Amino acid sequence: MTHANAADSQAYINRVRAEIEAEAEARRRRDPELERREREIERMWIEVAPPGAAGSQGELLLDRADRLAMIDVDVPLGSRPGIRQMKGVIRKGAYWYLRYVADQVNALNNILTRLLRRFDERINALEAAAGVGDGDGLAESVPEPTDAVADVVASVLGSQVGRTMVLGCGSGVLVRPLHEAGITVHGVDRDALNILPGVRDGLDLRAAEPAAHLAEARPGEFGAVVAAGFVEDLGPTAAQRIVEQSIAAVGNGTVVILASDPGDRGVVERELRAGRGLSPATWSYLFERAGATVDLVETTDLRLRTLVVARLV
Amino acid sequence: MSVVDLLVPELTSGDAIGAHTLLLRDVFVEQGASVRFVVEQPSSLADEVIVLSAWKKPGDLVVLQHGIGSQLAATVIERQLPVVLNYHNITPPEFVEAWDAGHVAGLRWGRRQLHQLAPFARRAVADSQYNANELIDVGFSDVRVAPVLWNVRELGAGDTNRGDPVVLFVGRVTANKCQHDLVAAMGALALTHPTARLVIVGAAASASYRRALDAYATRLGVAERVEFVGAVDDTTLASHLAGASVFVCLSEHEGFCVPVVEAMAAGVPVIAYGAAVLPETVAHAGIVLGDKSPSTVATAIARILDDPALRQDLIERGRLRAEDFSPVNSRTATWAAYDGLVPE
Repeated sequence: MTHANAADSQAYINRVRAEIEAEAEARRRRDPELERREREIERMWIEVAPPGAAGSQGELLLDRADRLAMIDVDVPLGSRPGIRQMKGVIRKGAYWYLRYVADQVNALNNILTRLLRRFDERINALEAAAGVGDGDGLAESVPEPTDAVADVVASVLGSQVGRTMVLGCGSGVLVRPLHEAGITVHGVDRDALNILPGVRDGLDLRAAEPAAHLAEARPGEFGAVVAAGFVEDLGPTAAQRIVEQSIAAVGNGTVVILASDPGDRGVVERELRAGRGLSPATWSYLFERAGATVDLVETTDLRLRTLVVARLV
Repeated sequence: MSVVDLLVPELTSGDAIGAHTLLLRDVFVEQGASVRFVVEQPSSLADEVIVLSAWKKPGDLVVLQHGIGSQLAATVIERQLPVVLNYHNITPPEFVEAWDAGHVAGLRWGRRQLHQLAPFARRAVADSQYNANELIDVGFSDVRVAPVLWNVRELGAGDTNRGDPVVLFVGRVTANKCQHDLVAAMGALALTHPTARLVIVGAAASASYRRALDAYATRLGVAERVEFVGAVDDTTLASHLAGASVFVCLSEHEGFCVPVVEAMAAGVPVIAYGAAVLPETVAHAGIVLGDKSPSTVATAIARILDDPALRQDLIERGRLRAEDFSPVNSRTATWAAYDGLVPE
């Protein structure tokens, strides 16, 4: 198989990758046994790894406890040649003593951490039994923006906007017009199945958690950040984080937020999304408070009636 | 004749930095310079070797190999020598501290030395753009990129094995290379390809991590299909590459990753996790995954095993990509990175 140019070649390999990730995701959804097996595989690693090594799963606190208890026993000792031997003897003595102390401390910490893990598992079980967190996923996912809204976004950004990232890209409705305008743009969506149609069309769409992806951006890396979809489920604290991180990511660029007004929601959605999602007016307030100049751009869409366009100068 | 001093803590051919330094000597000699190695531990690999304590007068150009804290770097800092830093990246300590407390100090020391070297270094040469970005963040002003120089071996044709599928990884057994994720993937791959085997080539840099991998494979019920080969010579490595169906690298941290290039050169399709330098080294010559959950990795492996057209395509892409790092191209890039530094 040959490829006419690097862009085609990259699009092809991106498509294969997206198909693989979507297939894995589809298998997980079809087969609860597979999901259970994955959890079991992860749990087995946690069982054999020392505290702090298995990472993930919200175990930051446990990791931190482990690190605080860790003692470096191999302190490097730079020196001039004349006194190196003497330092070597001291170092060896210090090494054996500290090694002993470190082993004791780490063993105690190991026990404490394992007890904390048990405690953590117990709390999770209690939360599950009490129904805490019920409601996540009950609200319908937010529909993708229409082509008309996408055209408004493209026109707001213009063709000289620079590298652009679309968070919550879905199948790529917002990415497509930017891509066609020659802008270097990629989209991110947490659902690997969602992005597949766009990837098959050659768009650069990636399956990842949008907020985490934004957090990894380097300062000033992008000319523009566009956020849609997932922002409808954010509470005030998470929204404030998105404001700060998107401003850092664009430097002197532009941030566009596509959020519906919670006031327009029907009764069911209002209750199921209670406390989540901010109105364009509130997004605007947060960006202005962070030093941006904000325009509220009207669209003809019934749901996404107003776009928040924050410019950093 | 100009004298170039290559500072490398340990000059051994078995590790990537030692092999790179020996090949870097050839590049300078080819350009008419005279090269000396300045080392912390005596080495019989080359004639012009000076132990640090006997190194009194620096050459016209001093190049410091940096991949961990070293007494050599400390000396350079103490004397404020205008060196060229040849940076191979330093494993972030958090990857290994739970496994090897003793190894952490050297890593932290190396990172501190980077900050101390930045103000007076003449230039920095990084193995990859990923490494270069780190140096720029630290404050190095003149940063160039040239790949690791590596010994091209007779690597064979790839996938000569007509038996059970073989998933291969080559690299030191250490936590940042995440061999445990490979073992986990075997746990998921067993559902669709129960005869597939995982072969892990490389010395155990961490005994505790190695033991945990054994225990993990046993608990998952895949121990019989996971083989730890240990360190091997070039001929054995070539035979492992020739027998591999797919090369999978799930490392969280790599500065360049020569084994990926070797696999591509040997005609083995590559799957990698998109962390650190791997997307850059693999480019679009392999499958770079954004998620390394066991079923995603297993799906990717199965796809390559079951789709001959994709497999052939990846083999061709890999060979082309490996050509970017061929001896001629790498030496040209290296000399360009040191351009103007060696006096006539």
